[in-house]
Amino acid sequence: MIAFTDIVGMDLAKQALMLLAVDSELGGVVIPSAVGSGKSTIARAFADILPEGTPFVELPLNVTEDRLIGGVDLEATLATGVRVVQHGVLSKAHGGVLYVDSISLLDSSAVSHIMDAISRGEVLVEREGLSEVHPAKFMLVGTYDPTDGEVRMGLLDRIGIIVPFTAQNDYRARKKIVSTVLGKRDSEDTRDELNMLSGLIQAAKEQLPHVSITKEQVQALIQTAISLGVEGNRVDIFTVRAALASAALAQRSDVEEEDMKLAIKLVLIPRATRMPEREPGQEDMPPQEEPPSEEEPDAEDDTPADTPDAEAEEEQKETPDMIEELMMEAVEMELPDNILNISLASKKKSTTGSRGEALNNRRGRFVRAQPGEMRSGKVALIPTLISAAPWQETRRQDQKLAGRPKTALIITKDDVKIKRFRDKSGTLFIFMVDASGSMALNRMRQAKGAVASLLQNAYVHRDQVALISFRGKQAQVLLPPSQSVDRAKRELDVLPTGGGTPLASALYLGWETAKQARTKGITQVMFVLITDGRGNMGLQAGFDPDAEKATKEQIEKEIESLSLSIQADGVAAIVIDTQMNYLSRGEAPKLAQQLGGRYFYLPNAKAEQIVEAALSF
Amino acid sequence: MTQTETAAKKTVAKKPAAAKSKAKVETPVTAAPEPKKAAKPAGKKKSGQAFPFTAIVGQEEMKLSLILNIIDPRIGGVLVMGHRGTGKSTTVRALAEVLPLIERVAGDTYNRTVEQYLEGEEAKKGAKAIDPDTLKTEKIPVPVVDLPLGATEDRVCGTIDIEQALTSGVKAFEPGLLAQANRGFLYIDEVNLLDDHLVDVLLDVAASGKNVVEREGISIRHPARFVLVGSGNPEEGELRPQLLDRFGLHARIITILDIAKRVDIVKRRREFDEDPDAFMKKYSREQLKLQKKIQTAKELLPEVTMDDAVLTDIARLCMNLGIDGHRGELTITRTAYAHAAFRGEKVVTMKHVKEIAGLCLRHRLRKDPLETLDAGEKIDRELAKVLGEAEAV
Repeated sequence: MIAFTDIVGMDLAKQALMLLAVDSELGGVVIPSAVGSGKSTIARAFADILPEGTPFVELPLNVTEDRLIGGVDLEATLATGVRVVQHGVLSKAHGGVLYVDSISLLDSSAVSHIMDAISRGEVLVEREGLSEVHPAKFMLVGTYDPTDGEVRMGLLDRIGIIVPFTAQNDYRARKKIVSTVLGKRDSEDTRDELNMLSGLIQAAKEQLPHVSITKEQVQALIQTAISLGVEGNRVDIFTVRAALASAALAQRSDVEEEDMKLAIKLVLIPRATRMPEREPGQEDMPPQEEPPSEEEPDAEDDTPADTPDAEAEEEQKETPDMIEELMMEAVEMELPDNILNISLASKKKSTTGSRGEALNNRRGRFVRAQPGEMRSGKVALIPTLISAAPWQETRRQDQKLAGRPKTALIITKDDVKIKRFRDKSGTLFIFMVDASGSMALNRMRQAKGAVASLLQNAYVHRDQVALISFRGKQAQVLLPPSQSVDRAKRELDVLPTGGGTPLASALYLGWETAKQARTKGITQVMFVLITDGRGNMGLQAGFDPDAEKATKEQIEKEIESLSLSIQADGVAAIVIDTQMNYLSRGEAPKLAQQLGGRYFYLPNAKAEQIVEAALSF
Repeated sequence: MTQTETAAKKTVAKKPAAAKSKAKVETPVTAAPEPKKAAKPAGKKKSGQAFPFTAIVGQEEMKLSLILNIIDPRIGGVLVMGHRGTGKSTTVRALAEVLPLIERVAGDTYNRTVEQYLEGEEAKKGAKAIDPDTLKTEKIPVPVVDLPLGATEDRVCGTIDIEQALTSGVKAFEPGLLAQANRGFLYIDEVNLLDDHLVDVLLDVAASGKNVVEREGISIRHPARFVLVGSGNPEEGELRPQLLDRFGLHARIITILDIAKRVDIVKRRREFDEDPDAFMKKYSREQLKLQKKIQTAKELLPEVTMDDAVLTDIARLCMNLGIDGHRGELTITRTAYAHAAFRGEKVVTMKHVKEIAGLCLRHRLRKDPLETLDAGEKIDRELAKVLGEAEAV
């Protein structure tokens, strides 16, 4: 076990956890980080700096609903004849920490329950004849690898701190540091350091009620949230709390600039949906080359203890505007790199998992057993037997009275429970739209109409829709798999068009999206390609700007082999050719053939026609 | 949930529990007679204090739609959709504190009035006539029942009490959340994520106003009329169209961008977190005032009238907007009545209609994927046309 103080690097994450330890009302900390960066190590080590005896409950990803929420302990109930209640994981974490590793892989119903528990501070158990309220006020610590998909926004909204994601390309070096450092240290040092840190946090907790924040500072924080396009008003409370906790850690009684900067860094920036607007002329901030914040020593150097003179300077009479000005500077220091990396802003990454009907089919796990017709699904044997068990005695009496022959076990229709899997997610339609050339705008409009129209009907089928556009050198996921009409409309609003035709890149990206969707329980994937089928950009061009231009033959070869692999992988496809010039047809039907799909020639296609074509297949 | 806990928990299906008591009206009784049942395990409902309704900053649309539903529950509930972190569930949960009282048969799990009680009990097999004078009544706050996403169907609809079956071999019905919600509010947070099979149950019950449970040879049928309140974030998923249609009103809620208001929100929230009791006290007068205003409006409602001309305008508005069926007109009319009553006015005018038309119709417009105009704007536009016409005539 590596102790909290032994961990090298991850300074921002450590800082975040310390703030949480000072003020549990911050709700939690989410740490997105690449594999092997030690994120789960640090989360587990968090327990070190909490008061002894604080519950630390780790949530298994494959948790079932009844284990999560709690319910009747049937075994004990049957044995004793008295209803015995079993508390769920959420309630077990009460007063402590609920830790979820790979939180982005948690299935959507579990996420909903966690959200609900956070917003109530308790769990309502309305199950199996049980109606209880269990306290469940906990700090949620979640870690995940953004390449596994994203955490649901609703959940993130209830968690105070999100550590900005920085690509930890030097993680190998870090690991090495950890191990060398470990080798040299003896456990006594570690213990002393931990004690010191715990003492510091304890002192900060006591200081917290005495820290004050000015109205101007609150205004500046709110203004920053608005400038960054952060959704919701809950976030203001978190920013203020984070700033207060930071000041408390420094044993100050007033919030200062550095506290506000830290609050902005940990609460607001990760939720930014846009770049802040600046005065004209300053818009084009050159992107910074260096990785931000984490590697910069200055942010970490103000470790709480060594800023005693901070209290002295009492010239805190800045106007909100001035403060805001300072804040914006801080934001811009962080932003250029971050906004492209962090989870919330980077909806365009192919890795976004969206609302994932996350389903865990792959683990062969069912979410819950529910009453149902025996024919309508797989019978869940154990739950059926359990629900039949309590009635055996009374039924036996009835059986006797009715003079029916005695059977070992009396199971009636009512007992039957069927397995409910999370795989009702229907089909994922991946639209791939050729945004190059002159007809691009037209195609894009058709595709948008079709996407929206499919989504209107999607609820019934639990279908999802994704949209990939391809132009220039590389294809791009514009809309990750989603069911939300609102989201689709928003994401598809601004679309650049023109340039080359990286068809191969689109196929590749579509295939990746399909593979990822499969891990989330989607069983069927269909490509809907709206293109003339003429790719003129090689796959390599997207990855390496200096790559030699691929020849026509190479490009054709790429498309062909990709298509065949996609077909072999069981992805269905249709190709819709909407171009007017019908003499030049040839490539699109060939593409359809390679994909093992159908070809539709629909010049001036209406959205409905495209939908019809997609559904008819 | 705070006020609903006093509502009773269970009755034995065979015999009406309260039939033996004398006729006497008691106001207001806080504790329902505890049914004959071993004490519940510890941890029985007792939720934390809710933030006061009147201390909630902004979000007037949502607040108004909730209030109008208290004044006239027939409006059909509210769907609150919007941005995360904008106080949706806080507001709904705050509602309980400003609700008026209703009268029910003392201790009745289904919150029935004397008439409903008699009707229900006498319809049972082998039941004897009950003398209405022997029934005791009590006043309880309108129940607000929270339906969590993880609820199982048996807890929602009610089921056979396992414990009683095991210990005494008696088949007793244990009413569920639908029973508790009768004549009250049923609230579902994240309603767009509710499991399909629960949505089916809700649609069924909402349409018939009755809940029917058949299990282990017992057949229970009880009234379940409630105001459905749902909230959610549209980006997390779409609501099933049938369920969407069930909601009378659709309130939209967005992030407040006014800094002064937001500062106020932060201030109030911190104050509340620091000392909930003191905070509640500070708002108790306003809470009481609102509660009274709602009660007055409720009493005024039967006296409110509407001119035929207004009705014609409403019909024309719905027609121009191409709204299918008549639920649109009906909802607007009822809501406008309630709105007038809330304002203390006895005659419904187009001014009232104008203020609530968006709430009533927003979710009933046919969706056109390529439509760029917002539903609200469209309604306003048509409304202006209708009003213009009305003035010209």
